[in-house]
Amino acid sequence: MKTRRDFFKTTVLGAGALSLTPYLDAFGAAAKNNGFPKRFVFIRKSNGERPDEVALPSLSEKDKALDEKKQPLVVDLDRHELPVYLQGLEKHKANMTILQGLSCMMSENGHMSYSSVMGAFKSNQNSISGIKRATIDFELAKLFPSPFGHVELALTGDYAKYRTGIVSGYSASGPHQRNYSYADPQTALDELFRAVTNPIGVDSDNAMLKFLENDESFKARILQGYEKQKLSNHISAIEEIQARNLKLSKMAGSIAKHIPQLGKIHENGGVTASSPQKCEAMTEVLIAALITGMTNVVTYTIDELQTPMRGLPGNESDTVNIHSIGHNGSFSGVPAAKIRENIRILHMQQVARIVERLKAEPEGKGTMFDNTMIMYFPENGETHHGYGYEMPIVILAGNNCKLDMAGRYIRLPFHGTEGHKTLGNWYTTLLNAHGNPIKHYGDFDLEMSRKKLDQTGSIKQFLG
Amino acid sequence: MIRQLLISSWAVAALTTWSAAAADRAFRVQPVMGKLLDQYCFSCHDDTAKGDVRLDNLESLALDARLDLLNRMQEQIFIGEMPPKKKKQPAEAERNLLVEWLSKELQAHGASKLEDKLRKPEYGNVLDHDKLFSGKYKDLPGFTPDRRWLISEFIFDAKFNRILGFNPRKLIDGKHQYVIGDNSRTGVNLTNPFLLPTHSGVRYYDTTMLSGGHLLTMINNAREASGFMLSQAKRNSSIPAFNKVMAAEWEHEKILAARQSYLDGNIEPLLRELYQGRHAALLPVFVATRIEPPTKAGNFDTDVGRDDKTAIWDAMQKHFTGSQIDEALIMKCEREWFNSGVHERSIQIRQNFMRGNKSELIRRFKLLPKPSEVKAPKPPADSELINAALRKHRKAGDTYSAIIAKCMGGWAEEFKQERLKTQPLSDTQIGDLVEQLFTKIIERAPSGQEKAEYSTLTKSYVQKLGTGKAINKLSQSMILRSDIVYRFEFGEGQADEHGRKMLSPRDASYAIAYALTDSSPDKLLVEAANSGRLNTREDYRREVQRMLKARDQYYVIDGAVPIAIDSFTDLPIRKLRFFREFFGYPALHAIFKDNKRFGGDYAHPYTTGRLVAEADMLVEHILKADKDVFARLLTTEEFYIYHSGDNQAMTATTANIRQIYEYFKDKDWKNFNAEQLKAHMPFLKEHPIPNVALDTIGGEPPRSLVAFKATMASYQERLGNGQTASVPFYSFFGAAAAAKNRTAGGLVGEQVAKCYGLDLVNWNYPAVQPAKVEHRKGMLTHPAWLIAFAGNTHTDPVRRGKWVREKLLAGTVPDLPITVDAVVPEDHHQTLRSRFAKVTEAEYCWKCHERMNPLGYSFEMYDDFGRFRTQESLEHPDNLIKKMPDKGSPQADLRDIYKTLPVDAKGKLVGTGDTNLDGDIKDAIDLSERLAKSTRVRQSIIRYAFRYFMGRNEVLSDSKTLIDADQAYVQSGGSFDAVIVSLLTSDSFIYRKPVTN
Repeated sequence: MKTRRDFFKTTVLGAGALSLTPYLDAFGAAAKNNGFPKRFVFIRKSNGERPDEVALPSLSEKDKALDEKKQPLVVDLDRHELPVYLQGLEKHKANMTILQGLSCMMSENGHMSYSSVMGAFKSNQNSISGIKRATIDFELAKLFPSPFGHVELALTGDYAKYRTGIVSGYSASGPHQRNYSYADPQTALDELFRAVTNPIGVDSDNAMLKFLENDESFKARILQGYEKQKLSNHISAIEEIQARNLKLSKMAGSIAKHIPQLGKIHENGGVTASSPQKCEAMTEVLIAALITGMTNVVTYTIDELQTPMRGLPGNESDTVNIHSIGHNGSFSGVPAAKIRENIRILHMQQVARIVERLKAEPEGKGTMFDNTMIMYFPENGETHHGYGYEMPIVILAGNNCKLDMAGRYIRLPFHGTEGHKTLGNWYTTLLNAHGNPIKHYGDFDLEMSRKKLDQTGSIKQFLG
Repeated sequence: MIRQLLISSWAVAALTTWSAAAADRAFRVQPVMGKLLDQYCFSCHDDTAKGDVRLDNLESLALDARLDLLNRMQEQIFIGEMPPKKKKQPAEAERNLLVEWLSKELQAHGASKLEDKLRKPEYGNVLDHDKLFSGKYKDLPGFTPDRRWLISEFIFDAKFNRILGFNPRKLIDGKHQYVIGDNSRTGVNLTNPFLLPTHSGVRYYDTTMLSGGHLLTMINNAREASGFMLSQAKRNSSIPAFNKVMAAEWEHEKILAARQSYLDGNIEPLLRELYQGRHAALLPVFVATRIEPPTKAGNFDTDVGRDDKTAIWDAMQKHFTGSQIDEALIMKCEREWFNSGVHERSIQIRQNFMRGNKSELIRRFKLLPKPSEVKAPKPPADSELINAALRKHRKAGDTYSAIIAKCMGGWAEEFKQERLKTQPLSDTQIGDLVEQLFTKIIERAPSGQEKAEYSTLTKSYVQKLGTGKAINKLSQSMILRSDIVYRFEFGEGQADEHGRKMLSPRDASYAIAYALTDSSPDKLLVEAANSGRLNTREDYRREVQRMLKARDQYYVIDGAVPIAIDSFTDLPIRKLRFFREFFGYPALHAIFKDNKRFGGDYAHPYTTGRLVAEADMLVEHILKADKDVFARLLTTEEFYIYHSGDNQAMTATTANIRQIYEYFKDKDWKNFNAEQLKAHMPFLKEHPIPNVALDTIGGEPPRSLVAFKATMASYQERLGNGQTASVPFYSFFGAAAAAKNRTAGGLVGEQVAKCYGLDLVNWNYPAVQPAKVEHRKGMLTHPAWLIAFAGNTHTDPVRRGKWVREKLLAGTVPDLPITVDAVVPEDHHQTLRSRFAKVTEAEYCWKCHERMNPLGYSFEMYDDFGRFRTQESLEHPDNLIKKMPDKGSPQADLRDIYKTLPVDAKGKLVGTGDTNLDGDIKDAIDLSERLAKSTRVRQSIIRYAFRYFMGRNEVLSDSKTLIDADQAYVQSGGSFDAVIVSLLTSDSFIYRKPVTN
């Protein structure tokens, strides 16, 4: 027999369509996978990532020829030198995978992919009705619930300055549901750790919820049947949120230990902060959100075409326009390719920061990083005007990663050929490996369909 | 043998003991039921367990298993799926007896699922159609249960647009019009949690319950909306009590802002004057900013933001003495900024900007008013107080901004203390505030009790948060009330002999408003409700008819259609939306297709957007005529294709193209130089050519001359080859479209013509539309519908057939059994129909598929882009005959050519209940013609209209409502307005009864 609360839970969690539902169940969910949740960090970069920029410079002539001809290839990273921008991760090679040859043509390409790249669908540019399904990050967040379910961060701008506050995001909790993202480190910190940073605000929230609960409970007395059930659901929802707030408040002490101290420059949105300062602070918030268990899944738009890049090495005093360097424009005599590399180096410093900080946090017999997977990828494909034939991904994953791919440079068969794998296959692999048995996640590639090439399911070789 | 034994055991139930440990000993099959089961069920569901269902051992099953089985039995028997049609059927009384028994057994355990299911949209058709329209039940009193109906995504937007004062306008047919449904709100970030499902038919039902997800999203929305609403109220005084209670605080803010502004502009001279010779020694020790000179010109517009530019102008006003921007000037600016405490990063950026944009800076600087012309900020009256504060707070090494921050902090605290000392908010002030906020948000005055409760809540907020934040919280608390997320529909007053009450006037005003629009009741409806003129059926009729006739409000139809394509109507939006949801063609947005297979640019949002928008235009056109609406929707041969909807303008445009072509065609236009073209200026003035600017003919580069020749070449290709009227699409890449849409933009999306198999340069364009199109009849042959009910790469006879069965024939199709893995076999030597037949025509599958496939096959006369065809292209690499180029002009057909097989579009229509209509069909056109003549089809659409306007499935007591609506349609000559009026004045709409347990 279902109790009211059971019914509430199944209704809420079964619907699976709304953004914050997983976090209602966060405290009740059984910890998975050796008692610890898996964590995922999706780092979206703009302006494409050219496959040759990710290629290993020390490949043998034979392998290099295969790589350039887009032929399948697997080599061990420990025998090779990494591309310059990845060298900051040299000591983490054993946890690294460079994955080449995935295509993303079923998502939007060109300048921007909007929500589509995370959901493997065509989104009709940036239209809300084009959001076809919950994006992969939200799907994973459902498997590993946490108080915030999913957190989205975005360093975005309008070419001249960074945006601040809470802005539209790109992830989606369900069809036609656009998520929001925190656009500056201070806002992200204040919102995620409100129980510590603004206890009075949380108190007044609770007073408001109590008032609403009493008001609804009064009405419930006069209703019967399924109309009473509707109201009962409403009241349960209020109760659950109150319970969550209460528990978060009780955790305030332990959360406080991990909250980063952001510099004064980040106050009021941090309009004068340089790009490295923005990145570092946002990464600190991201790390704290993972360590405190506020979330297990973060999507981090580390830059967009409109993000004003300031304070890059060699361009310290420039406001570098990412769109412009996509069109090979140089700044202060620094060629576009070099600036693009410097931006990727800055990005990799953030990846290294996350890896090293999580490696320093004990968890079970290992560290938090053992249960973490970081994916760094271009949101729009292989170049400034992406086509989607290729979408190189750099992956850093801990020792408990369920995929068998660490320490390797992997090039999959090229798009439109036998054995080729798409973004949909990759996401299916992530879901299958972590408990969602979905047959295929995402839309199919229409050229693969036209050529009658199989493209369903996970990438079996990664599942071990 | 076993069966015999078990049945006899029911007959002697009291004596029987069962050893099954898990069995529920209290459960016994009554003898009479046992008999019925024996008679109608056991031939298949005894120990032979057909379909893995065995019914002869019910008593021995464990409780959960038994309840599960009883639920399945209840559903199958109730909806008439069992016994199968070919088997002997129980009489109606016997069927009812069985269902009642099963229902009682299940309800005893609170386990019956049927009631919940019957409220769901997908179970709408299970109620027997003939029963409903037989007239046998028309005396049952109709009503809708009292209910709280969760708002829809559309109501959410309209509600918040109202609260936030967002009321956008659009230029339509040359006039600025208010448009409801444009939700591109700026400055506030709301998430709509009340999204409707995406299936075709009726999407908005009263069964959805508010979940934790809804509420969490609403909490964020409430925060955003409150902040935005109150900031607006501050500006426009729309909540006077708010402005009143905030007056003191805002006055203090004003004083602080004035002081801040004064200090920002005068800190340096003030400090110099105060400290005289000691000033320089108190400044921070200067550290030059590290800087690399730029080697490339900067970008004046994008390198820095507005604030930095202002700071640069200000510094230049002070220090610019020469004629150039030199290093000395930049140094002076840098030092000033340093002393002010500007962050090093900003100083770097400003310096670099100055170095990289010297000439532009000078040019613009000279246009600025001279410092002497700028009105100096007036020193505040309390300048002594300011000086005292500066003296108090300045420490050696402080930057200017640090000193200002300390002064401002000190004053802010003093003001706060001052406010705390003065009288706290009075009860009257709080009461007024509650009343005005409540009225603005909830659209009614609070009751006495509500006012008292919210006043108490406000006081507690003020104590914790201070006045400003408390009011914000109060407004959030109101936005989160259930009467924002639910629409209430409750009866009021004296119950009649059936226990029914009429909707309360207020609830009725909302029910009528939300039936026809997404907005709250308009002024006249509110007046009617408040003045006792919404109490009778005639009152309802008057208001509904008034609203249906109104044409003074525009609505956005589809937010997913690109802004460059018109998607609006002046019909009450929910009237049009019924048909777009019923047909389900907006699902086209989610179907993405391969451009190569299309042979053009299908994937461009202009193509798909125009397809949907033109399907809407066609529905709107038929609804505006309001005659034989259903039949016309099913059989019209006239369509809009790449048309603005303005026949006069389109006629003028196509005539202009023709006239231009006729005028120049015999001249040597290919070899014209600029002077020769100029000679035709009088003609060109009267007959403008897109991209040919008359004042630039002869200029360099010769864009206009090139555009003229490219345009003529394109016209030559069209009209010179026999086309009598040209399609007004652009003449070359980058050119403007020849025609305009109704909002004055260029008419885009010419690729839609390809979905009709029309060649852009060989189609005699009908300027007056909708116009007859060959091989089409009605909405089911519209490419938008055909694509919406197709896959990404192929047609879908099953989904199309299912749609016809369920939507037009009021039929049912069981869900796909979970054991079936529905995959169409790959075989590139056969048509899709043949491949479907292979997997669906086996006996086990056919019992369901026979309800869909014979209907759906008829649409095989169109491919999955909606193009008419007689041959099916076998798209497989092995069948490739000719590879075509991947890129080309808009008129080029880039499809690869494959081997083909003839299309078989024959099918069969069964289920109209009319022997003149049922039978073999030739194709989809034949099918559409027959469907349009069918009474059952007409009534089926009426049933869906009922569900749409009532938000629930029909039950037998709605029989009279449905019959009346059907008769209203017939007697009015096919008016959909008559159907709406009939439904919204029916007992089912105006009467309510409480839900009981």
